[in-house]
Amino acid sequence: MENIRLLFIDDEVNFRETVVKRLAKRGIVPEQAGSGEECLSILEKRDIDVVVLDIKMPGMNGIETLHHIKEKYPKIEVILLTGYAATQDGVEGIKAGAFDYLSKPVELEHLLSKIKQAHEKIRRMEEKRREAKSRARMKQQMITTERLASLGTLAAGVAHEINNPLAIINESAGWMELLLKKEELAEMPRKQDFEMALDKIKKGIDRAGRITHQLLGFVGKSDSVLSEVDLKEVVDESVQLINREAADKKVEIVQEVDPSFGTIWSDINQLRQVLINLLTNSIHATGSGGKITIILERVGEEVVLTVRDTGEGIPKENLERVFEPFFSTKSPGKGTGLGLFVTRSIVEKLGGKIKVESRLGHGTSFFVNLPKYHEIKEELEENDHFDVLGIINKGLP
Amino acid sequence: MIKIPTRILVVDDEKDFVEMLSLRLKETGEKVTSVYSGKECLETLDGKKDVDDIDVVILDIKMPGMDGIETLREIKKRFPLVEVIILTGHGATESAVEGMKLGAFDYLLKPADFKDLSAKLEAARKRRDEHKERIRMAEARFLLRKVGEI
Repeated sequence: MENIRLLFIDDEVNFRETVVKRLAKRGIVPEQAGSGEECLSILEKRDIDVVVLDIKMPGMNGIETLHHIKEKYPKIEVILLTGYAATQDGVEGIKAGAFDYLSKPVELEHLLSKIKQAHEKIRRMEEKRREAKSRARMKQQMITTERLASLGTLAAGVAHEINNPLAIINESAGWMELLLKKEELAEMPRKQDFEMALDKIKKGIDRAGRITHQLLGFVGKSDSVLSEVDLKEVVDESVQLINREAADKKVEIVQEVDPSFGTIWSDINQLRQVLINLLTNSIHATGSGGKITIILERVGEEVVLTVRDTGEGIPKENLERVFEPFFSTKSPGKGTGLGLFVTRSIVEKLGGKIKVESRLGHGTSFFVNLPKYHEIKEELEENDHFDVLGIINKGLP
Repeated sequence: MIKIPTRILVVDDEKDFVEMLSLRLKETGEKVTSVYSGKECLETLDGKKDVDDIDVVILDIKMPGMDGIETLREIKKRFPLVEVIILTGHGATESAVEGMKLGAFDYLLKPADFKDLSAKLEAARKRRDEHKERIRMAEARFLLRKVGEI
């Protein structure tokens, strides 16, 4: 039997105790009291679902008590007990919001079934409320997703359109710089001023370029495609893309992969982006002669991808903030502060989790837990026809 | 030491970009040809436009008509010795990965750092020269054997 929290109010002690005892035998153990005033004081202290309330009581009568209950606890259902042939009271009670009324003498079975009906009504109302709430939340998410999608498209377009003129400015500034180095311009007046200005232009280009790349990397991701992915292959590809930079910095990249690793269901392009972001980060954090280890392990129904470096480590006060957008400890213009933010957004989108551990002077490890199967079906059922990958895309500011 | 210029073909539909990059590369002593589409790129390599042998192609990915990936596929099919460095405006790495799989020497994100580009050009040129050298050696061995048989 479901746990019905019942309060039984009647001033006739014998009748009350008899009913309460018999209800208890049927699995409902009610609270009890003998007056309207006591009833209200119990409601203040206890969570109650259903109140069985006698109408005819000295002091505050049942109808009056009912008014108070409905005013203060609208979710509570009240069953009234009226004297024999006093149906007028019952009707008045229903008008005041009672669930129903029963005429004394009360048949236990009858009372029991009324209590259950009242409780069932509460349950249904609760369900409806939850449903309405979740529908409202879903609608909100839908609006957010749509807003983000259009914002994303716009941002990608803008970033793209900016990159091209940026490249032209870059080449022009670079060319002028070369010209300034020519012998024929050796004696040019105020040459240093030109050189300084060109330097500033180049730094500005670098900065803008990094931001547009990150932005494109982030927003260009809405068309997620799930497929069977050989994570080992993704690691190889990413290492290949990043290897030159690592070699330039004399950083060694080592892989530790369980040969029986197998495949997972995920989005290959996004996984690649995650790996490249993490590897780039590690390379930047690791000095010459350092080492980056990539570990792939299977832990139950999950896979764990670890990127560990022997870099300088992250101070404790920054560790919690590394995933925040625009948080960067690199000097202004060097980092966008979007890399790890983007990485975390992607990992979460893929149903995974990312965490970081670090020891100053020893290095940093990023752990990415990914599900072997991205639970796309369940989400689809829960959220009806709503774009699943869109929902989870809530990491955006 | 006299620098032997690398013969570079720059392919990008953004004319101002091509013009400035070419000027800059020429200023550093390279020999540069500029074209503005994948089609022109292939025509140039085909020798239709009477241009010197090309060592390295700098190829933009996003172009109207025949895009960079398609052009790269054709280049590698018809002129496997020509090295290709792709330029991508995408922050995403998909096109870079695809390009690398299709045999591009390396990739750069736009706007590219000139120092990076220069280093990559030099490395590409080196690989091209080594390739050519190996072919010359193989041909020489082949000829020697022929002579031996006679």
